Amino acid sequence: MNPLGEKYLRKNFLPFLFCPGCGDGMIVQAFLEAVDDLGIINDLALAAGIGCSAWIPVYIHADVLKVLHGRAIPAAIGLKATRPSRKVVVFTGDGDGLAIGGNHLLHAARRNIDITVVMVNNQIYAMTGGQVAPSTPVGSRTQTTPYGNLEKPLDGCKVAIAAGATMVSRWSTAHPKALSRTFKKAINHKGFSFVEVISQCPVQTGRYILGSGAPHFNLQWIKDHCVPVEDPSKIGEVEAQGKIPVGDFLQIEKPEFMEEVQRMNQKVKEAQSKGGER
Amino acid sequence: MKGAERIEIDRRYCKGCMLCQYVCKFEVFEPGQERSALDYLMPRPVKLENCRVCRLCESHCPDMALFVVARKKGGEKE
Repeated sequence: MNPLGEKYLRKNFLPFLFCPGCGDGMIVQAFLEAVDDLGIINDLALAAGIGCSAWIPVYIHADVLKVLHGRAIPAAIGLKATRPSRKVVVFTGDGDGLAIGGNHLLHAARRNIDITVVMVNNQIYAMTGGQVAPSTPVGSRTQTTPYGNLEKPLDGCKVAIAAGATMVSRWSTAHPKALSRTFKKAINHKGFSFVEVISQCPVQTGRYILGSGAPHFNLQWIKDHCVPVEDPSKIGEVEAQGKIPVGDFLQIEKPEFMEEVQRMNQKVKEAQSKGGER
Repeated sequence: MKGAERIEIDRRYCKGCMLCQYVCKFEVFEPGQERSALDYLMPRPVKLENCRVCRLCESHCPDMALFVVARKKGGEKE
């Protein structure tokens, strides 16, 4: 077994319950590489909801919070608020993060609290049997859209940027090294960081949307359709060709929520010690 | 020149997706006849001398079952 796995995985839970050729295992490995380089396994706190990708943190030998469907982000915010020294990372899927927990994503980004959200996008509700998800492309045939999907997909990165996230990136499982680098940057970033990972699902997306359940076909589809962009102004150009732009889209500095809370507490205490005026 | 001493494939975890064979540019792997503990046909590193230790197969293994052991400089074993 991979030495990273020997070091950081819960052996009694192995093998992974992911289907053969699933991208989630690659994300575990890229994440562990980042954690190993930073040496933060003891400070790590992971949270996840429900879904295939929500099984990612369960295998990692760190503190894990497994909560209701879509509610991983509020649980992570509570964790960060009570233990600000922890590095909190949320693993969520596209259904978990954009549909059921979409509201929480908006408000966590607006608050700019120092957590990292990793959204694994496989373009379908995979665990429940291949129903249409908010990120399913137009015209895709799924179990619930047998004549083709009519709804336009929701772009998680654009939503996060609009809601006020301070670090937004998108990579895919076909770029494992870049993904690991981005995880490192996202964990170290002070503020809300959102990393979307385009992942392959040979069993649901592959068979129903792309036309083949072979793992290599799905990986090649990601390689062909994910175009790295250096300059965020080129995103529109890539999208016009029907491809998915990947890269580090945004990294800015803004006041972080927990620091603001502590500053406010300090101010109130000082005011109270002076005699109750605000 | 970089080379691999051996490529370990853990037969407890391999699910035979053959992504290692697909991503390898030097055709090191081929489908084998041996079955893993999960009853999938495992890949076999047949042309080990072609390996350049780029570790693409390792980072693309979805089950973290594969590991490339690099040969040390001067042909010594690790």
